[in-house]
Amino acid sequence: MLRARRHWRQARLSLRLLAAHRLRTALSAAGLVSGVAMVIVMVALGRGAERRVVERVRALGTDLLVVSAATAPRIAGRVRQVATTTLLRPGDAAAVLEEVPRARAAAAAVHRTLVVRADSRNTTVAVTGTTPEGLRIRGISAVRGRVHDGDEERERRRVAVLGPVLAGTLFGAEDPIGREVRIGNTPFAVIGVASPRGVDPGGADLDNAVTIPLGTALRRVVNVPYVDALYVQGRGTSELEALEQEVRAMLKERHRVREGGPEPYAVQNQAVILRTERAAARALDQLTVSVAALAVLVGGIGILAVMLISVRERTREIGLRRALGARRGDIRAQFVTEAVLLAMAGGAGGVAAGVLVTLLGAALSSWTPVIPWGAAAASVAASALLGLAVGTIPAARAARLEPVAALRDA
Amino acid sequence: MPDRNSPPVIAVRNLQRTYRKDGGETPVLLGITLEVRRGEFVAITGASGSGKSTLLNLLGLLDQPDGGTYLLDGADVSQADDDARSLLRSRHIGFVFQQFHLMERATALDNVMLPLQYVAEEPPDGEARARAALETVGLGHRLTHLPGELSGGEQQRVAIARALINDPSLLLADEPTGNLDARSGAEVMTLLRSLKAAGRTIVLVTHNPDLAAQADRVLMLRDGRLDPRDAG
Repeated sequence: MLRARRHWRQARLSLRLLAAHRLRTALSAAGLVSGVAMVIVMVALGRGAERRVVERVRALGTDLLVVSAATAPRIAGRVRQVATTTLLRPGDAAAVLEEVPRARAAAAAVHRTLVVRADSRNTTVAVTGTTPEGLRIRGISAVRGRVHDGDEERERRRVAVLGPVLAGTLFGAEDPIGREVRIGNTPFAVIGVASPRGVDPGGADLDNAVTIPLGTALRRVVNVPYVDALYVQGRGTSELEALEQEVRAMLKERHRVREGGPEPYAVQNQAVILRTERAAARALDQLTVSVAALAVLVGGIGILAVMLISVRERTREIGLRRALGARRGDIRAQFVTEAVLLAMAGGAGGVAAGVLVTLLGAALSSWTPVIPWGAAAASVAASALLGLAVGTIPAARAARLEPVAALRDA
Repeated sequence: MPDRNSPPVIAVRNLQRTYRKDGGETPVLLGITLEVRRGEFVAITGASGSGKSTLLNLLGLLDQPDGGTYLLDGADVSQADDDARSLLRSRHIGFVFQQFHLMERATALDNVMLPLQYVAEEPPDGEARARAALETVGLGHRLTHLPGELSGGEQQRVAIARALINDPSLLLADEPTGNLDARSGAEVMTLLRSLKAAGRTIVLVTHNPDLAAQADRVLMLRDGRLDPRDAG
């Protein structure tokens, strides 16, 4: 109790001193304030980015496998399609559904990048041909009009669902329903506009696209008998690994892939993509931490400089305290405490500034702010440790002073 | 009246101090022997360079002698290390300096309470004591004033209250009136005499013979030795 009161009285005196040298205190802490503020903003940005990535992957469904008819080596962590193969057929989807009990739904799809024209306007977009089941699995629904149905699929009708961005590009504010577009050279009737889906983890705009029935695509647009992808939906994220194994085994047998040979298709597991993307976002965190450590170190030098000046200026006070009975250890503790208080004030100021900038940035842009309270607490704690570390040097210098010489100091 | 039964507050035998600097040696105190009894008011005087300050620093345990013995309140402190001397200072010695040495940003009350930080056991009634000490020096109405708001004489009286807060066995005053005008100086001397009358043991170091004359006993330092003519 008494001890606590004694420390409190000393801390109050120290704070009054720091407050009295307002400008100097502010300048000395400025480095630390900006360093910590930077950390908070960068971590907030990183967390925000991570959250958006996760939301994107989730939007596509984390219970989804995509079998691509391509060998797909990963380059720098991203899938790069190199060579397409002709192995996968539309019938594989039905076969998967029949033979793999873990599969809840399956659909085949073809992808091309083609020129799409309407009247005088034209643009190059991603064209996807898939069945109504494929639309459901990929979450493609109509915000206006409708998507194609089973009859249109069977009869290979030339109907198209435009992504909202493409609809805007081709028709502006006009209603595209019932209008004609040409995909390649084939005319299609627009029956719907898809609801916005955003950007996929690879960065492709899912809304600048057009979707048509699979049969129509194979017969009238790409004119090949093979498909580019199979979408397989499982019964949950936890079963995805098992589902992947079963689908691989089934396809291997069905297409008589040589045992031990390379598979002529790649299986993308959304759960794995989620993990990878999240790791990529986290990698940014590590960079942030290194930059932050450097910034905070620079901040520490500022505090060190001011504390050294302070010891010089307060030589007589140190002499007086020694005369009144302060041991070297008491003097050391006093200056270390002041350095820690100063550093913590700087850290707290930095957190406040960082949170403010984050909220301001979020208000000015569209993203929802993620305030990293963990990083904030860690910053203040790290600041305290920094104060402890840099405080020892001036504190040792203060403690070394001989009382007689210190009292005589002019 | 000086107490003849308890051990002397200060008992110094053949105390020596030599400053070493850049390889050269400057002997300052050549062998001081003196005794100060409880309740005495002793003045130590001498020309500048006679070793007054050095002796005061040794008596105040701010410095360590090179030879001789020093019994403070009967205990040998000549070999005490830095921490031990610090603790002894907090308990046994109250300093009054020429330059007051008050903390500019602390109130009179906080200044007086400063020494409480450094005693082994802080008394629970510290603030009450500080108030009482300020009453004693006639500043009961200036508790929350900052040093800058006080006159020189008042500042020195705050410093005296600070020296009294831990109830020391010895009050060491180093030219306490040196920075004061004649009237304030006289007030401070009156205060010191009244403290002596109340039983305090006081050692006053001054170059001023008129001030020294107000003590019970005057010791004259000359070239590092006490002048035998007035050695008590």
